[in-house]
Amino acid sequence: MRVKVMKFGGTSLASPEARAQSALRVISAKEQGFKPVVVVSAIGRRGAPYATDTLIGLLREIDPAVPPDARELDLMIACGEIFSSVIFSHLLKTMGHPAQAFRGGQAGIRTDGVFGNARIESIKPVSLFSSIDRGYIPVVCGFQGVFAQGDMPGGELTTLGRGGSDTTAAALGAAMQAYAVEIFTDVDGVKSADPDYVAKAPTLRTVTYDEVAEIAHLGAKVLHPRAAEIAMKFGIPLWVKNTFSEDPGTEIVPREQFPGRRVTGITHTGRLVYLQFDFRAATPPHKARLESAVYEMMARYGINLYMTNLGPAGIGFAVPREQYPTVKDLLDGLVLPANGDEKAIYLFQIGQHPSREAETQAKLLKPLGEVKTVPVELTESCTMVSLIGHEYLQQPGVFLEVLKILQEAQITVLQTSDSEFSLSCLVLEADTERAVRLLHERFALAEVR
Amino acid sequence: MRGGEPQTDFEKPRGVNRVEVRDGFAQAIVEDLEGNVPERRIAVLKAIADAGVSLDFLKLAPRGLSFLIPVGQASDVAAALEKLGVSCAIHSPRSIVMVHAVNMRDEEGLIARIVSTAIGTGMTLEHLGDMHDRMLIVLESDDAKKLAGHLNVHLAGVAR
Repeated sequence: MRVKVMKFGGTSLASPEARAQSALRVISAKEQGFKPVVVVSAIGRRGAPYATDTLIGLLREIDPAVPPDARELDLMIACGEIFSSVIFSHLLKTMGHPAQAFRGGQAGIRTDGVFGNARIESIKPVSLFSSIDRGYIPVVCGFQGVFAQGDMPGGELTTLGRGGSDTTAAALGAAMQAYAVEIFTDVDGVKSADPDYVAKAPTLRTVTYDEVAEIAHLGAKVLHPRAAEIAMKFGIPLWVKNTFSEDPGTEIVPREQFPGRRVTGITHTGRLVYLQFDFRAATPPHKARLESAVYEMMARYGINLYMTNLGPAGIGFAVPREQYPTVKDLLDGLVLPANGDEKAIYLFQIGQHPSREAETQAKLLKPLGEVKTVPVELTESCTMVSLIGHEYLQQPGVFLEVLKILQEAQITVLQTSDSEFSLSCLVLEADTERAVRLLHERFALAEVR
Repeated sequence: MRGGEPQTDFEKPRGVNRVEVRDGFAQAIVEDLEGNVPERRIAVLKAIADAGVSLDFLKLAPRGLSFLIPVGQASDVAAALEKLGVSCAIHSPRSIVMVHAVNMRDEEGLIARIVSTAIGTGMTLEHLGDMHDRMLIVLESDDAKKLAGHLNVHLAGVAR
């Protein structure tokens, strides 16, 4: 049985015309002798009536001050995919091809119990094979599964977090030993850069699992890295295609099938706030105490860190913009007494000028002795721009080339980080588009195929 | 029955799943660059590239930069920077402790928890870096295995 898993994203399902186009893709695969298994996202993107954010909004508008429970939130947002699967299966039926809709749990997808960000633990796709055997096309809700432990009959519905429908497709492909997994979207495949920034960014015809995972982690929204990692682990042929064009798309292959040294693309990601802590006023033992206190606090409040760095003068990291208010509440005006041979009181101050909180703390602390200020330099509105490469970044001079290009364009690089496949620079958000364009041009990515 | 046996192990376990040590590095620290710091940084990187040395783990400091190089090329870097008239401290041997965790930026607070646990050992951490699937900590090679052992014990399977 040649199973082909075909996943359709929100834009491929957004309108009756788009759904018809997507359905024709499925029917075409069936007519070619494949057994299609369809995976669907919620219909439409942000703002659409059944899109995930719209459904979340229905809960939040009840009382914005009371966050919904993760369990109830999962039940709510999973409705988007349920709507979608039922509508799509009925559409296939009306086009003469019987289909059956399945929730994630009905498709045999079992997850851990982390609501909102569950991980797939096992898949038993017996119901899907049975559906195929009876002549149906299974249409599975992406993004969801079931946590089967506990005393809830049928288990608890869970959602898989960001990119969950891609993950569902790749995992079903692996569990059903699919001939291929095809991810359908509204662009021709994996591009060498964001086409909103570089209109002529070419579609990459072949990339490796490693490259696509890196590209996806660092900003490309075309495929979620969890899906690439599952496909890589199980050796499932993976494609990214455009629902609305005949472009052949991007084939994602193992590293050994596509060797060679190259620059693959330029990505950008994150709406970040960068913080640099100056601990020069602290003695060495106190410095370690202050560093530890900051990181403990970030861990306790679940703050996500990017571009972490540490040096003789202090530490630095970027945080997502939506988490910055929490970070500011925690750190601005924070007082940390440090003991040991030398006693001192440290007062954290975010930004150039002390806030009212920091000023009040300073006044209150004055009678207790010297108060040492820990200045925290703040850079709001930052983004990571990354160069993705294969066997390329280890060459002498690559860092030089990237920094030189940006420096010549008077683009400030606040920090860098690098890995086997990528080199990232933290730049001001206002410079992002220019940085992406320049790097794309200077690394001759318009010629990449 | 087809599909009757559940397939498992699709995704790597959540949280820290491996800690490893990579040896053989030297850390170069360039501080107190005079004049236009971004331009001087470029001059430093050019001197290193001209010396045929590939660097890793570049980090920018307010008035300088630091990076890792293979320990065998430390003298080439020292010579190149001396020729440029830039003073550079080179510390070796240094190792990188790599803490692997899948999609760690999606696990709230995980990176901070790893760093906080590492700092809590009292060992001197010289540099930090993060990627989507691992945290990198640079320190003296003598301490690296001890730190890795400690993190393995205290972070195994930890998400948040």
